[in-house]
Amino acid sequence: MGLKVVGQEPDKGDVEDLTKEFLAESQEGLERMELCLTQLEKKPDDEELVAEIFRAVHTIKGTTGFLGFGRLEKLAHAGESLLGALRDHRLAVSTELISGLLELMDGLRGILQTIEVTGTEGERTSDNDSALIARLLDLRDGGPVAKAAPASQNRAPFDKFSPGTSTNVAQCSSQSPSHDEVLSALPAAAPGVAMAAAPSMQDKTLRIDVDVLNRMMNLVGDLVLTRNQILRSKPGAENFPELARRLDSVTAELRESVMLARMQPVGYLFRKFPRLVRDLAATCGRQVRIEFEGQDTGLDKSLIEAVRDPLTHAVRNAVDHGIEPPQERIETGKPVEGVVRLRAYHQSGSIVIEVSDDGAGISTEHVLHMATERGLVTSEQAASMTQHEALQLVFVAGFSTAKQVTSISGRGMGMDVVRTNVERVGGSVELESQLGSGTTLRMRVPLTLAIVPALVVRSGGESFALPQNSLVELVYVPRHEAEQAVERMGTTELYRLRESLLPLVWLDRLLGLEHSADAEKHDFYIAVVESEGCRFGLVVDDLKAPEEIVVKPLSSELREIGVFSGATVLGNGTLALILDVAATGARAGVHPAEEGIVVDAKPAEDETARIEMENSMVIYETGEHMSSQGGDSGRMAMPLSAVERIESVPLSEIEYASGRAVLQYRGELLPLEDDGNVLRALAEAEATASVGDAQKDVRTATVLICLRPEAHGARRVGMVVRRVLDVSAGRLLAADAAASGEQLAIVKDRVTTVHRGFAQQAGKPRTAVLMEVA
Amino acid sequence: MRSAELKEADAGDAVPICSLRVGNGLYGIETRQIREVLGTTVPRRVPLAPVYIAGVLPYRGEVLTTVSFRALLGLEKRDGANCVLVFDDEGNEERFGLIVDGVVGVIAVQQNALEANPSGLDARSQELFDGAYKLPSGLMVRLDPQRLRPSRLAESGLFGSESGPHGRLKQERQGEQR
Repeated sequence: MGLKVVGQEPDKGDVEDLTKEFLAESQEGLERMELCLTQLEKKPDDEELVAEIFRAVHTIKGTTGFLGFGRLEKLAHAGESLLGALRDHRLAVSTELISGLLELMDGLRGILQTIEVTGTEGERTSDNDSALIARLLDLRDGGPVAKAAPASQNRAPFDKFSPGTSTNVAQCSSQSPSHDEVLSALPAAAPGVAMAAAPSMQDKTLRIDVDVLNRMMNLVGDLVLTRNQILRSKPGAENFPELARRLDSVTAELRESVMLARMQPVGYLFRKFPRLVRDLAATCGRQVRIEFEGQDTGLDKSLIEAVRDPLTHAVRNAVDHGIEPPQERIETGKPVEGVVRLRAYHQSGSIVIEVSDDGAGISTEHVLHMATERGLVTSEQAASMTQHEALQLVFVAGFSTAKQVTSISGRGMGMDVVRTNVERVGGSVELESQLGSGTTLRMRVPLTLAIVPALVVRSGGESFALPQNSLVELVYVPRHEAEQAVERMGTTELYRLRESLLPLVWLDRLLGLEHSADAEKHDFYIAVVESEGCRFGLVVDDLKAPEEIVVKPLSSELREIGVFSGATVLGNGTLALILDVAATGARAGVHPAEEGIVVDAKPAEDETARIEMENSMVIYETGEHMSSQGGDSGRMAMPLSAVERIESVPLSEIEYASGRAVLQYRGELLPLEDDGNVLRALAEAEATASVGDAQKDVRTATVLICLRPEAHGARRVGMVVRRVLDVSAGRLLAADAAASGEQLAIVKDRVTTVHRGFAQQAGKPRTAVLMEVA
Repeated sequence: MRSAELKEADAGDAVPICSLRVGNGLYGIETRQIREVLGTTVPRRVPLAPVYIAGVLPYRGEVLTTVSFRALLGLEKRDGANCVLVFDDEGNEERFGLIVDGVVGVIAVQQNALEANPSGLDARSQELFDGAYKLPSGLMVRLDPQRLRPSRLAESGLFGSESGPHGRLKQERQGEQR
């Protein structure tokens, strides 16, 4: 059997390398085959699919002969001849055929795994092979189709979860393939086994575009050159800033290209699910269809591996427990076929992967009942919980134990494992469920593991890193205001931020760091942070530069503290701990429920910022003549949402075209509106100043870059103002004829004119930018 | 003294032991169990961590959790020079550092000089110590790095894993309420 190599036997190391390569290649081939098979069931006439499957099996057969894996070759050969018949249209696609081919695939995969673990094919189950081969041949000859052995059919889904170590699971299920038994075996064995199993060959290899690799190599070359130059340059050398800049850009590019190389489409993860759902649905007696969306979304390779198991778990749960049996679905008036939908998309710097089903949903009462029974919450706590809070209980460790799993109709089995795995990579999970209409599990994972933009803050003499994605805004409280700024309600300290009350958390006190007794006697910063629906002000002593930090995991004992999500090495070489904003809030006792005391913000987490924006107005001052018209010293307001940027423009950059002021702004010509004649006033001031002063006094004008809504979309205009006063919440007054068509708003307790043309944008109560016209 | 011990070691079945000084005591760890010894370093303190965690250190691109042996022995904090021993867990999963006052040196000690923990030892010492070598100059307590793993210390619950500051904070809050 196999090729005899004449002369010298191949080196052992060589064979090992070849085997490794062969394994990785074959796994990939089988993965493609799996996908094609499930598609083939729907599109039986697609010759491309058949060809693809044939290729996968053929490649395996070809290589095995050379490597001397006889058992594998025999099986592959039987499969190949069956596929050959299919390719030549001597056979038609049928469910039996697909099942047979899937079994062939499982068989091949099983042997490959044995080879990977032990280095040999193993002999123990060779009898199974001959049965399978006989069946494949039967299928080819169109002979009597032997019913598949129940054992192998049931084993299929389990094999998927526990590569390499599935024997126990497979045996226990094959002996008692009754529904309940299967379910109890699943949660008990699967998470543990799946987590413990060593990553297989495929998880450790990655295909990279040669161009990307070349680019990386070039960058590394550049890096070496720069290093050489730095080593050769003397301290304080003139060209040092330039070298540093070069090093900076090369590093940035290199990092980017490495990240890019590590990105994989999420679809890669989704590939195995059609088969999984097919098998599982058959085992559980459900009719389930699986749908995908956003397969192209890129995700870091290591994150793909990290979410693989949680995702599998979630999909299984959706089929096992989400989708109801057909009979029940008919009774409740749903289509017989249930749908499990996998969706991936970007959202504010992270990737969201959703698993949703249109099944029975989760009863919060049931969850609460279970949780109180297990002593996870007291009945008083349970009574005061919102529906959302109650649902999240399923993620608590110990919510369910393997023993009780069979009696639970909800989820929650091993959900803590799901959460732990996702959180380990800096992600989060949440569950939404509508009783009767379905459940959605949402996993949010960062785009890349390693690098996060963060703000470094100081508190109690130590540095902490605050991830930018949870940071909403920063407020500086100067010393003379410090005492008045903090208001108290009971023991809770609050800060009035644009007319809404913000609970304050003193970081140094929370962490038990030394703090001066009169902490409120010096100036401080409030970092307004928001996470998981909690919004609060984190009081810190000082702000340092924003940095892109490389996240390093903490050891498990330190993770248990809960407040820190990791650590990072700062630019000066010292370590800073990374704050977990949600956990910090929870520790300080800030709950999403406390949102109630916030006047204008709504708890919906993503919405809050947006609503805030809409309610905000930029208040500014315009020119003199406006003030003479009785408008409150030229005080005007403009919806913040209409203002894109506030720019300081040197007067010299403002040009005039046929008497109108224009500004070249980011490659477009921006007409300037100068209602208050600010420009003229500024120009006059400059003229008088420059006579006496040789030193050039560069005058600048403040320009609000606004989007003006027009009939055909929006147009940018620049609004020249004397100065911007504030950003504040405001309320529009109903337009009324007496006010001569002017739109008025109450901003900061004063009636303020809203700049014409922008009033209609201010539909709801808003905050305004106050400005002053000279 | 040292030469006498070394001579003794030559006699046969001897293992090299790294001897350490912590407070007034002499301790020893087999050198093969030590991955690296770092010079004086000040670890970054981790608020709310158990008292025996001295803090974290950057080490080979990772964050190393360090255990303060002084804190384990119930000794006061001490400023000045120290040493960090870096250990690998057997499964290479848990790497950690142990902060001691100083490393004395490496001596070869015969295995038969080792005596197991005496029965009268208190629970904490029973947990930390792994017998003692009877050296001519006195006892050298043997330490097993596996017993000093932060996770194991946390499990044992003997070393005040309840973080102090949190309790204090609660008391403070209650005080405010009153």
